[in-house]
Amino acid sequence: MIAGGLLSIVEDFGRFGLNDKGITNSGVMDEYAYIILNKLLRNPPNTNCIEITLGGLKLEVDDTCAIAVSGADANFSINSKKGDIWKTHNLKKGDLLEFGFAKKGARIYLGVKGGFDIKQELGSNSVTIKENIGTNLKSGDKLKFLDNSFDGYNICLKKEFIPSYEDNLTLRVILGYQENYFDEEQIESFFNQAYKISSQNNRMGYRLESKPIKCKIDGIISEGISFGAIQIPKDGQPIILLKDRQTIGGYPKIGSVLPIDCFKLSQLKAGNFINFKPISLEDAQAKMLKFKQLIP
Amino acid sequence: MLEYKVASVDSVIIYFANFISKENVKLVQQNYISLKKLNNKGLIDITPSYTSILIHYDLQYFSYKKIIEFLDENIALKTDVTQEEGRLVEVPIYYDEEVGFDLQRISQLAKLSIKDIIELHSSTKYSVYTIGFLPGFAYLGEVDEKIATPRLESPRSKIPKGSLGIADNQSAIYPVESPGGWNIIGRTYLDMFDKNIEGFSYLSVGDIVKFKPITRDEYIKNGGVI
Repeated sequence: MIAGGLLSIVEDFGRFGLNDKGITNSGVMDEYAYIILNKLLRNPPNTNCIEITLGGLKLEVDDTCAIAVSGADANFSINSKKGDIWKTHNLKKGDLLEFGFAKKGARIYLGVKGGFDIKQELGSNSVTIKENIGTNLKSGDKLKFLDNSFDGYNICLKKEFIPSYEDNLTLRVILGYQENYFDEEQIESFFNQAYKISSQNNRMGYRLESKPIKCKIDGIISEGISFGAIQIPKDGQPIILLKDRQTIGGYPKIGSVLPIDCFKLSQLKAGNFINFKPISLEDAQAKMLKFKQLIP
Repeated sequence: MLEYKVASVDSVIIYFANFISKENVKLVQQNYISLKKLNNKGLIDITPSYTSILIHYDLQYFSYKKIIEFLDENIALKTDVTQEEGRLVEVPIYYDEEVGFDLQRISQLAKLSIKDIIELHSSTKYSVYTIGFLPGFAYLGEVDEKIATPRLESPRSKIPKGSLGIADNQSAIYPVESPGGWNIIGRTYLDMFDKNIEGFSYLSVGDIVKFKPITRDEYIKNGGVI
């Protein structure tokens, strides 16, 4: 590594079955870009990669390898020449990879054929900084990879499957949880107003800003929190909880965002706008099952 | 009461009660332990808390209808009195003002001597209600009401690893250095969270915990840091 950028960490699908010990699931923020990355490289689905937030990573390759890049467009270059993303590249010793700042989208995925050679912790390669599991990549760090075969294949994703990462997004919400804690008019304004993404957005969650939503109660008895849960704290500004969320918490929730839409949300930045619309549980489950068919 | 609620596209929360009591916590714990023992591949995460269990299930194994049927078959609504109490775990604590920054504050609020506070705290048996906030951070109840003390108004930015605290009628040990607002009364040399121990967390939901006062020498000899 020559420069680590703002936040560049190794991730995979995350660690599961440990929420009862207070350990979060962690894992890549945008599963769509991650799944495609490994498909391009013909890697097994859970092969680790580097998740780069906003850009700034610079590294030199010290052996032949095949890599791919997916996610946000951040002026990716190979030896100072523009490199295509959603595509594989064959590299040789001394090649220089560089990422600028993401113009559209927020998270970039960089994978290598065969994955990086890193020991798993608690069953996963996912770095969780708040749990002291792994660290941010920085200048001087080295990541080993196992597969240095130079097989010359070149695969790129069909244009129609490349997401456009618009600045505005409608998130589908599953109700049926604690919406009884909110008056009808509060739920109505939740679905009718636009929300700005605040600067407090990270791997734990995205804080939103708009007219506050009032809840009839201050808090609930602490309980487990699902991926995508929309918490309404006392100030009435929703927080959508994501991969590094706390395992239990005591704020009321108005609903939960469909995971596919959480992946899209992960590509938004502070200042972007979103709204919400409801989706039925049956519909939501069918959409998730279809999404999971992407995973070989 | 037993209530299932949709918590997300692939999770359901089971509410056993709407208030915290010893009986309700026991009901949650017994069901948590029996669900965990099933080792069912379709159950991804099982997260117990005071009155509820959150189940993250795999949509490739269960639809919502199927998971409810499955839970109905596997949830017991009465605590099984024949079932043994949880595993008894002893945790050595160096109780002293040197590491127990709030012993003096509790002493003033409770109008008890520090010796009495230590005696009251270490003679109680605690149950692990839930684990969260930090990996291995176990919420223990219940602290004797004579020494139950509200959280500090302004949290400390750094609480040393192993610190034992009180917040209202609950007690907990900080598994790693962390900011926090609990009243600190002592410290253990044990690793409460360690990637190398079975289950990773020294304590599990349902365990019974007893604190054993130790001297400064014993604390240091076993690797304790001041």
